[in-house]
Amino acid sequence: MTPIIIHAENISKLYHLGKIGTGSLRRDIQHWWKGQILGKDDPYFKSVQDERNSIWALKNVNFEIREGEAWGIIGRNGAGKSTFLKILSRIVKPTEGTVKGRGRISSLLEVGTGFHTDLTGRENIFISGNILGMNKREIQQKFDEIVDFSGIEKFLDTPVKRYSSGMYVRLAFAVAAHLEPDILIVDEVLAVGDAEFQKKCLGKMKDDSSKIGRTVIFVSHNLQAISNLCTQAIWLEKGRVCARGDSKTVVNNYLGSENKKSWKQEFFNLDSAPGNNQIKVLLFELEPQLSSPLLPIDIRTPLTVKFKFLNLSDNIKLAVGIHLFTITGECIFDVSHTPATYKYGILEGECHIPGQFLNDGSYYLSIIFVKDSSEVLYYYEESLNFDVEDFRENLNWYGKWIGCVRPQFPVTLRQSEVKIPLLND
Amino acid sequence: MRELYAYKDLLFRLVRKDFLSSYQQTLLGPFWLMFQPLVTVIIYVLVFHAVIGVSTEGIPAFLYYLIGITLWNLFSNILLNTSYAFVQSAHIFEKVYFPRLISPFSILILNLLRFGIQFLLLLLAAGYFYIFKKVDFNPGYLLFTVPVIIITSCLGFGAGLIFSIITVKYKDLLNLLDLFTRLLMFICPIFYSLAIVPKNVKWLVYLNPLSSQFEMFRYAFLGKGTFHYVDILYSIGFMICLLFAGIAIFNKWSDKLIDVV
Repeated sequence: MTPIIIHAENISKLYHLGKIGTGSLRRDIQHWWKGQILGKDDPYFKSVQDERNSIWALKNVNFEIREGEAWGIIGRNGAGKSTFLKILSRIVKPTEGTVKGRGRISSLLEVGTGFHTDLTGRENIFISGNILGMNKREIQQKFDEIVDFSGIEKFLDTPVKRYSSGMYVRLAFAVAAHLEPDILIVDEVLAVGDAEFQKKCLGKMKDDSSKIGRTVIFVSHNLQAISNLCTQAIWLEKGRVCARGDSKTVVNNYLGSENKKSWKQEFFNLDSAPGNNQIKVLLFELEPQLSSPLLPIDIRTPLTVKFKFLNLSDNIKLAVGIHLFTITGECIFDVSHTPATYKYGILEGECHIPGQFLNDGSYYLSIIFVKDSSEVLYYYEESLNFDVEDFRENLNWYGKWIGCVRPQFPVTLRQSEVKIPLLND
Repeated sequence: MRELYAYKDLLFRLVRKDFLSSYQQTLLGPFWLMFQPLVTVIIYVLVFHAVIGVSTEGIPAFLYYLIGITLWNLFSNILLNTSYAFVQSAHIFEKVYFPRLISPFSILILNLLRFGIQFLLLLLAAGYFYIFKKVDFNPGYLLFTVPVIIITSCLGFGAGLIFSIITVKYKDLLNLLDLFTRLLMFICPIFYSLAIVPKNVKWLVYLNPLSSQFEMFRYAFLGKGTFHYVDILYSIGFMICLLFAGIAIFNKWSDKLIDVV
């Protein structure tokens, strides 16, 4: 096992909401005088420093990173991810606890920190490099590589303010990508820039961590990138560590918890049940066949749609249809059964959607009740939402897979025996 | 301190960046540095000398004022620019770690650089008046400028560091500081010499640690000036206190204030 390179013990960070201090110099001095010099409590100050007005962005986080590991940090917005990175990169001090680190840390929390827009690309490479912790010699050595990586050779002596935003980001990232710290800390900076360039950067980061043995700590909402790039992951929730360990497991657990919300609608009271005087919906549920209840739905998961409703009219010819839409409103399919005559009472049914059929993305389901194949009795629209996560194996490509569905129809390719007709023959 | 040294490349890069960027897309570029005191001095010559008629002890008013203004610019620029150090760099401080003192130090060096150019102008002017025998000039006395420059810039730097911290919390103090600096200018012997200050307000000028520096600076060029070694010790003592207090306060508070800005 490689030695520990960062050791964070019990770190907590308290932020005050609203006004900081008492908001006025007179009050601050008064408070200081009363509190520090006379040793009395200032009643005004107490009400300001109330617990309600402060928030623990992080609470008792313990963390150990070994040399050469690549860690991903995931969690919802406001879970404390960025605060955590800032503490690790020494930008802010934790309110409690200590962080001990060895080696040179470079943090990349923003693209183009310290860039001066009036100066040329060449100047800015040096400025940015110095700010990120490289020295002059290192930058000079890597200068050509950086320029090459960014692909802005022609504009090297143009002020950065005349760059397109894409060029700006590429230049900024090129500098950052050539840092050689012992520990690299990266926040969600890859969100900018085109897909091609993102891929290039992710590839470089992956190479660095696996080949050179650089320690990488990476925050991203791109979970696919996390599970591919990182070996380990931490899941933060409201400033606390929710789970940690192998990145694929943590990412899956995280996704699972995110998606549970809207899979089931059940009504026990006829008054509140959706419907009208002919149909009352009692249950509409999506049931994925998952090997573990913690896992998210991914493209391999077979799904079952279950429904139960009360038919209030006797002996009608009824058909129930399931509609599946993408989040953008395109209908993927409209399936139904053979219409038949049903009596008054509760009816139930289900529809199976096989795995390896839907593409990754967000979907919603609607259910429609039709009488005599023509008259719509009730249309319960957009009632179930679910997300399908991506899953890829042995594929070194993280871009978005296009298409509404991703079925595995056989595609074959073989070597043809026909000779290529040569032009000079 | 060792950490500061490790970041020396960054320090000089920031100086270079600020120097280059302030003269991008300008007509005169760094010549502004010479132009600006020239114009100021001409205005003061008109106002104080020609209109009001303050005595310059038989020395050409232009040179007399230029000496004072050059030193004053050094002090006030360092003080004011350093006061903005934290607010100005806060957006970088929030994203990257480096010793925070790098930022005010780069401002100090930048201002010394600018002063260097203005000092050159002052030397040219002094040389001109010397050649035309309008003033006595002893090149050996010029050595006096070295301690003056060090003491004056450290006074400005120390005070600036303290203000840079206070003003993060109370932004309106920047306006107050501006006002204070303007007032301070008039209790510095820039347009007059200590010798002509009336007895009843003399204490105020003596209390000002800069006063002896202006007298000494003038002495270096003109061989005239009234200063006592006690005044100089007072200035040095004041400087040491201010400088150490400034650095200590800046170091202590810069970590905490990141959460405030």
